[in-house]
Amino acid sequence: MIRLGPENGRLTVHTGRAGAIARAGHDLELEVTRWEATFTPDAIELTADPGSLRVHSGKGGMTPLGDEEKAGIAQTIREEVLKSGSISFRSTRVTPRADGLDVEGELELLGVRGALAFPLRLEDGHLTGRATVKQSAWRITPYSALFGTLKVADHVDVAIDATLPKEPDDG
Amino acid sequence: MVELDHSFATGKPAAYNWDAILDLERVIPCVEGGKVVEATSPDQVKAEIKVKMGAMSMTFKGTVEVAERDADAHTALLRIRSRDAGGQGYANADVAFALADGGGTIHTAAQISGKAASMGEGVVTTVLDALIKDFTQKLAGI
Repeated sequence: MIRLGPENGRLTVHTGRAGAIARAGHDLELEVTRWEATFTPDAIELTADPGSLRVHSGKGGMTPLGDEEKAGIAQTIREEVLKSGSISFRSTRVTPRADGLDVEGELELLGVRGALAFPLRLEDGHLTGRATVKQSAWRITPYSALFGTLKVADHVDVAIDATLPKEPDDG
Repeated sequence: MVELDHSFATGKPAAYNWDAILDLERVIPCVEGGKVVEATSPDQVKAEIKVKMGAMSMTFKGTVEVAERDADAHTALLRIRSRDAGGQGYANADVAFALADGGGTIHTAAQISGKAASMGEGVVTTVLDALIKDFTQKLAGI
């Protein structure tokens, strides 16, 4: 079994913008700072702590995001979007490919389960992958501000970029 | 200056709509984020509105007064004068109501400066339009 966590790489969430004044908002890169993934030849599991989300960077918008705004956004996500829910993924099928794995499984997000499939690329011990999550499919209403004129896009990308440890963890 | 026109439906008689619109303590909470801080006279209140935008929020504090009224024509002008509590900007508006059986129309002439205005007139117009549309929907239940 291989265990991965923040010490091995980054788990990030990438959000886009929608709404009539989308250009006034920012595309965000959020980093999950507490997560754990386990890999066996035929199964992958991941849990992420929604309370550990931090705003890494924001692109676009009328003004750059300062530290105060980043902290405020993270607080809004924790308190108004993710609340105290849990996030976990468990694979149902893992298919090897020449350069990685095709993964199918179930994502549980704030108590709602749904199917999620994504490819993982594995090259020289370096693991990368990206999955797209449609918030409304998990009964999450995308965050909306200014009377609905500025929204977070329904589709959110989740990415992993990690280096596998050299020695597997037998525990 | 941003000028916008809207209509609203209450399903109530003109006299009811007239009383409701002139009752500042009833009408101001129909603006999302708006509240009366203190009634200084029957026709004027101190009020504030908090507008939240993700991480940031702006609070405008000032007065709302019934500046003009014509009971026969069922028309009234509400005058809003406010300042950005956290900055140098202001948000002023003259909001003209023409009331009839079933609802009425609203003509808004607004002037906004400071941080909010720095997003550009297009953004200000879009947000103000959305704010007033939300207001008209809440008026339906007044």
